[in-house]
Amino acid sequence: MTSNLAAITGIGSVSPYGPIAGLIPTCTLEPEPITAWPTAGLRRAFLVKPFRPADVVPGLKTRRLDRLSAWALVASSLAIQDAGIDMSRVDRSRVAVVFGTGFGCAELTDAFFQSAAANGWSGTDPSPFPEGLANAPASHVALWHALRGPNITMGSKGFAGESALIQAASLLRHGQADLAIVLAGDTLTRAVYEWYEAAGLLSPACYDAEPLPESGGFVPSEGVVALVLEPASRREARSYAHFSSGRCAAGGDAVEIIGAMLGGAVPSLTVCAGNGAPCAASTTAAVAREISGHDAAIVHAQGVAAGLADAGAFLHLILALSSQPRSGQALLLGTSGDGGFAALLLELP
Amino acid sequence: MSSGRLLPVSDLRINDPRINDPRETIVVTGIGVVSPYGVGLDCLQAGMLAGKCCLSPTKDVYPGFDGTTAAVCGLPLPANGDSSRYSRSDQMAMLAARDAVENFDRDSAAFRESGVFMASTVAGLSEIEPAIAEDPAAWYRRGSGLARAASYPPAHVADAVGEHLGVRGPRCAVSAACASSAMAIALAANMLLDGAAPMMLAGGSDALCPFTLSGFSSLQALDPEPCRPFDVNRKGLNLGEGAAVLVLETLDAAKARSAEVLAVVRGWAMTNDAFHSTAPQAQGNGLADCMRLCMEMAEVSGDEVGYVNAHGTGTPLNDVAESNAYETAFRGRGRPVPVSSTKSYFGHCLGAAGALEAAITITAVRCGALLPTLRLTDPIESPNVEWLRGEVRREALPLAMSVSAGFGGSNTALIFGSGGFGDGGLRNGRS
Repeated sequence: MTSNLAAITGIGSVSPYGPIAGLIPTCTLEPEPITAWPTAGLRRAFLVKPFRPADVVPGLKTRRLDRLSAWALVASSLAIQDAGIDMSRVDRSRVAVVFGTGFGCAELTDAFFQSAAANGWSGTDPSPFPEGLANAPASHVALWHALRGPNITMGSKGFAGESALIQAASLLRHGQADLAIVLAGDTLTRAVYEWYEAAGLLSPACYDAEPLPESGGFVPSEGVVALVLEPASRREARSYAHFSSGRCAAGGDAVEIIGAMLGGAVPSLTVCAGNGAPCAASTTAAVAREISGHDAAIVHAQGVAAGLADAGAFLHLILALSSQPRSGQALLLGTSGDGGFAALLLELP
Repeated sequence: MSSGRLLPVSDLRINDPRINDPRETIVVTGIGVVSPYGVGLDCLQAGMLAGKCCLSPTKDVYPGFDGTTAAVCGLPLPANGDSSRYSRSDQMAMLAARDAVENFDRDSAAFRESGVFMASTVAGLSEIEPAIAEDPAAWYRRGSGLARAASYPPAHVADAVGEHLGVRGPRCAVSAACASSAMAIALAANMLLDGAAPMMLAGGSDALCPFTLSGFSSLQALDPEPCRPFDVNRKGLNLGEGAAVLVLETLDAAKARSAEVLAVVRGWAMTNDAFHSTAPQAQGNGLADCMRLCMEMAEVSGDEVGYVNAHGTGTPLNDVAESNAYETAFRGRGRPVPVSSTKSYFGHCLGAAGALEAAITITAVRCGALLPTLRLTDPIESPNVEWLRGEVRREALPLAMSVSAGFGGSNTALIFGSGGFGDGGLRNGRS
């Protein structure tokens, strides 16, 4: 890919830190008890506290939407606000929306199954059906902001967020959009949480109000992160990072491939290790360590973003940018646990 | 099974000066299909050219459901498939992908580094039962519930294809409702231009299942009888199922391995209506913009597009919006643009529809055969459109467009051209 192809000029997020425009104030969060569904004893996760989207984005109506769609609307609005873009002066037919998600609108998909369980397949509730489609959040973002460019929802396993960023950059490169709103996120539902549990992936900290252990599973999380991506050449205002190049693959030697992308030793590299598929947390960290050596600052799992299935790396990036002034390069890295990975090289101004 | 036994290609040769850089020209070198006609493009092509309709009563396949659908019957399981790990969408995708690369050298470095870009809207939903909503943990403990639920994300289809073929390039999944697999083809083409992989397998797969049958029924979008796209008396859509995978590479790469070029992907474009979650914008402005952008990319005028394979679902709202879009996109054309909906043959295959219709459009170009819409007796009035009906029309077809649209307002258009590059040995050679 072309060097300095695109710039990240705006950040918005809805996460356990709350709905925030721009960087996230550094603070430590603890997992919270799950109360949204009956559990056999204490079950904890990093959860987005309930809030009224219209309190953050006036006029927003989200009553019938999956929380993923509602959060995408809020996060995208905050990112556009953070970028300082006057949308009334933008050709909205040239703005793309690219969303990355692991599970899509799991909440309304679950609601549709519930209506089938209660009433049979012939008596299902029509409203959750279209709103449960994986591309519903991206289409609502387009609808709310009147964005008529390409509207894409990526679902790559473990690194949908990174894939979304790569696709968005490709759209800019090929002149198929002038600006892109790139989002990634997932919600935590009972079906998702209990699948993690049945698969034996959860940390002991999910069951016990003890500090997070260093290893041994993860604590699930939820949220949506939105980034505004613009061609670097067209943007004179401040940017959080320039997007230089990206690679993703399903196999091969990740360390070798990413090393070639980096073009040799990069001493000031900050690795933002998105854990993607939760079981891959340690894989991602191991790959990151091998790539970066001992000098790099690795921002990776074991925190609030550990179980944020497909926005993990984005949130890690924001946390890395938030934690202290940095310069040099950042590697956004996601792995799928079975040899797959996505890696993006960001230059931090 | 697929590309090697296509019916005779039209004699047309394109030496179009606009196709001037083989590194920037994307070509199709393999097509694999699983459809209600069977496995392979040959079955699909023969059935459609014979005017065979695959639609039948839904209750024959899904007892308890009324209406009309088209199912893939007797689906042969992939050779090394594990039925508990793979959903029906996965298995159809694996079969289509294997069909697409049947004659490829799968030991070559280029093939091993191939990327996969698959689309699905159903994915593993077909394997999940309503009981999961009442007690997920109990459902996971039952039988292979945990493995079946793991096939739920659309990404699983791409992973199934990649693992089945043993390729290790980029693996991507896209979900944009009924425009999904056309979008997968467009995005895969972008990735080839980015140099992300030497070859991309792009397409889509979606299985019929109670979830979608019930969902579309609850929206009152289904025609209980065989659908009648673009007819004034249309009542809705019929669901179908299937998968299609196209092998894409640059012309440069295809030439280097003496591959047969089945078609040139001359243009692709994506837009969004930004109008409504489920309803298309009535004037079809987003879709018209999409077609216009696609023609601009292909550097062709409306007069040069010899056929449009329509989205044509048969729903009251879609077909009006779509016909309005044609009026706008092809305004000023010398003669009405020939349009048909091949969903009248085997229904709407949702996330697989765009790729299946891309395969049909390529067949039309290669065979010089314009397929009619079945059961179209009283077409929507649309002066700039020639609604194809009745018999298959035979004529040289240099360029054809395939159009897809979906819930959420997504639109995608693809333009395919003949693969004839003179007599340069591209037709018979295989790597």
